Amino acid sequence: MQRLFMIPILFALALPVWSAELSYQLRVDGLACPYCAYGIEKKIKALQGVANESVEIRLNEGIVLFEADTETAIDEATLRQLVTDAGFTLRGVKTQSVEPPDE
Amino acid sequence: MRHRQLIRRTKCYVALGLLAAPMAYAHDPVFGLGPHTLFKGGVEVHVGSHQEKAGDERATESEIAVKYGLTGDWVAGIELPYVHSTDESGNGRGPTSLSTKYRFWRKDLPGVQESAAVLAKAILNDGDASHGHAERNGNDYLVGLAYGYEGRKWYRWASIRHRVNNDAANGAERPNKTLVDLVGGIRFEPTEYREPDWVWMLELNYEHTEHLSALSEGLPRQVGGDQWFLSPGLMWTLRNFAVKTGVQLPLYDDLAGNQDADDYRALVELEWHL
Repeated sequence: MQRLFMIPILFALALPVWSAELSYQLRVDGLACPYCAYGIEKKIKALQGVANESVEIRLNEGIVLFEADTETAIDEATLRQLVTDAGFTLRGVKTQSVEPPDE
Repeated sequence: MRHRQLIRRTKCYVALGLLAAPMAYAHDPVFGLGPHTLFKGGVEVHVGSHQEKAGDERATESEIAVKYGLTGDWVAGIELPYVHSTDESGNGRGPTSLSTKYRFWRKDLPGVQESAAVLAKAILNDGDASHGHAERNGNDYLVGLAYGYEGRKWYRWASIRHRVNNDAANGAERPNKTLVDLVGGIRFEPTEYREPDWVWMLELNYEHTEHLSALSEGLPRQVGGDQWFLSPGLMWTLRNFAVKTGVQLPLYDDLAGNQDADDYRALVELEWHL
C-alpha cells in the first residue's frame, strides 16, 4: 500500500528534471512602481535559459512571470536572492511545465 | 560700488551653496530626499539642471551623475556639476561629490514598499566655482535620514539633511544648513509595468541656514536665515527611463541682513537605469 503512495510522489518530484521548459510565477511584495521593477526584469533576463520575451511583470497583481528552458528547475533560494538583490521580497514561487504549442 | 559687489558675491555664494544640495535618486521626491536605492549591479546615469533666481541673480547648475548598486539596499555614486551664473565670476566646474545611501529598513507588502535610509555625501574641494570663491580649504559633508512610503496610488516621504560646510567656523562664506522636507504624491491611474507612469507630488521644504555676521573686506555682512517653499513636482517614467521636474515657490522667509529671498528654483532631471 505504501509503495502505491510513493509512486505518484516520486513521479511529482522527478517532474522538474524531465521538464525541459518551465514557467515560473513569482509573488513579489513591494512592487509599487514600474521604474523600480526594472531591476527584476534585468536580473531574470540574466538567468541562463530564460526566454527574454516571456518576462512579464504584473504590478497590479504583484506577480512576475517568466519561462526558462533549463536542465533542472531554478531553485527557490536562487529566485529569493534575485528578488532581494532587486530590492524586493519574494513571497512565493509556483512552477509548471510549459505546454508545447499545438501543431 | 564695492559694497554692491560684495552683496552680489554673497548672494552668489549662498545660491551656489544651495544648488550644491544633493539631487534626488530615482523614485524619490524632486527636491527632498527619499530612501530609494538601486538594484544590485545596476547603474544609474543621471543628467540634470537646476536653476535658482534671487533678485537680479540667477544661477544654473547642470550635473551628470553615475551611481552603482552595491546591493539591493546600498548605492554609491559620483556627481560632477557645472555652474553658470549671471555673475560671471561664479561660472565653472562645481565641486565633485561622492555619495552613498543605505536603506537600513524595508517593509514590503503587496503593492507597497515602506523604507528608511541614511545618506552621506562628501563635497570635495576641487571645483572652479562655488568652493573656489569661498576660499575654503577642505571638503564639505552632508548627512541625511529619509523615510518613504510607496504604494500603487499614494506616496509619502519625510527627510532631514544637514550640511556641514568646511569654512563655516572661520569666516563663513557659506554657513551650515539644515533641510527638512515633507512630501505627498499620487498616481491617479495604477499603470502596468510597460506603460508610461505619472506620479504627481507636492513638497513642503524648510531650509535653515545658520546666522553669521562678519566683516568681509572691511564691510559688515550678514548671512543665514530660514526659508519655506511649496514645491509641485512630477515624475514620469517609462520602464527604465525617468524624467523628474519641479519648481520651488517661496512661502515664507526670514533672512538676515539685506539678502534677497529666492524668487524660485526649478529643476529638471533625466535618468536611466542600466
